[in-house]
Amino acid sequence: MANNVLYVEDNPDNMMLVQRALEARGYKLLKARNGLEGVATAENEDVDLILLDINLPDIDGYEVARRLRASEKRALASVPIIAITANALKGDAEKALDAGCDVYMSKPINIRELWARVEAFVPMP
Amino acid sequence: MTQSYLTHLECSGCGQQFSHNEIHTFCPTCQSPLLALYDLKRARQAVDRDEITRRRKGMWRWHELLPVLLEENQIFLGEGDTALLSMPHLNKELGLTNLFVKDESSNPTGSFKARGLAAAISKARELGVQKVIIPTAGNAGGAMAAYAARAGIKALIYMPRDTPHANIEESQMTGAEVILVDGIISDAAGMAGEKARAEGWFDLSTFKEPYRTEGKKIMGYELAETFDWELPDVIIYPTGGGTGLVGMWKAFAELETLGWLSNTKRPRMVAVQAEGCAPVIKAFEKGALFCDFWTNAHTLASGLRVPKSFADALILQDLRESNGTAVAVSDEEILKAQHLLARQEGIFAAPEGAATLAALQKLVDQKWIQPEERIVLFNTGSGLKYLTQPT
Repeated sequence: MANNVLYVEDNPDNMMLVQRALEARGYKLLKARNGLEGVATAENEDVDLILLDINLPDIDGYEVARRLRASEKRALASVPIIAITANALKGDAEKALDAGCDVYMSKPINIRELWARVEAFVPMP
Repeated sequence: MTQSYLTHLECSGCGQQFSHNEIHTFCPTCQSPLLALYDLKRARQAVDRDEITRRRKGMWRWHELLPVLLEENQIFLGEGDTALLSMPHLNKELGLTNLFVKDESSNPTGSFKARGLAAAISKARELGVQKVIIPTAGNAGGAMAAYAARAGIKALIYMPRDTPHANIEESQMTGAEVILVDGIISDAAGMAGEKARAEGWFDLSTFKEPYRTEGKKIMGYELAETFDWELPDVIIYPTGGGTGLVGMWKAFAELETLGWLSNTKRPRMVAVQAEGCAPVIKAFEKGALFCDFWTNAHTLASGLRVPKSFADALILQDLRESNGTAVAVSDEEILKAQHLLARQEGIFAAPEGAATLAALQKLVDQKWIQPEERIVLFNTGSGLKYLTQPT
């Protein structure tokens, strides 16, 4: 099984933190800095899991999740999506799950939790 | 005399160490809570537990095991040394023999939050912090406002719009700026975190700084002292953010290292949550290491409306280490228990405190608790703070 994790995130600090954490466990990180880039990367690359920030500069994470689930690339209907957001605002979690995400996490991202949640979908290489 | 045996801070997740002479929040590497560590070997040689018993009452008589280095930075409003009350009528009602309530409602601002905020604000003052911010379900905000006022530190509080009115008013009365948020504590936390990052406020959110836990842990020291240096068999604790549960479990380990306990027996810890917001129960039951964020959180016990604690891993770890358990109770059960505690024993408990009695009833029914066991319920605050204004 491949171990490609796509992280859709516009904040470079969070991107760096997650990159270090996942690469330390042998995962390969694919990066997208906005929602549209995230959808395009998911459609063009082999992706085993998606970490999806909700507050993105173009289309928000909910819309990204909806587009991924409706994509012509059939595999994206079932690829695991972990939603991540800085503001656990009212209904964020519900909206993320309704949009097709599998799990919801709020920032700050606890790295041990991230490892556990990623590993639950994609075993450590 | 050494004021404090604090040596450093350590990440509860990855073990990275940090200086206690600098301002820290949580671990920048793995983003887990930091815990304060002490030179307990030196304290064991130098500190006489019986001498502590003779000191002026209050949390700071345990100052060697608290993080403030200079006495002048301790902010004291009378916190600590709350009553441990026997429950003769409830013993009969439930078929028990050794039931107690640790009644935290006599703390300043009427709740256990005073302990944590006394420690956190005192340490913040020692480190030169000028302005503090907190998201709160209510009581932590009131406590922070009071201690910040005493310390001369500016306070900003984010709380849900439906927070009990007493919490809003006490915070404003003591000079804090209060911002009411549409939503629950996680919404308030998001906004407070953003404000803190943008404007340099020091964030006192639960477990996002290391010292509130230290104030709360003193509840564990007081229990040990009151029971003549033995620990109870079971502690039943309402668990929102979980600072008190984690703090007491830390205290028990410290007490053992200090050599102050008569034996090595530790209590079974019970986390109580509301059925409408029970992330710890769900995670505990499925053996998970972390909680899932609880969606659509709702309960009348505002302090239990915490969809996911920042210290969920620590809470779950401590429950398991203690051979404890986690119990969910309904709002109806909480209200019934609140009445029962008031009518039978004269304690008008906060709903969070009453939830522990509701949980006890379930555990007795399940025979998880034996009649002769020494059991402590925590009433975390006064029911008076939850009264609504007549319409």
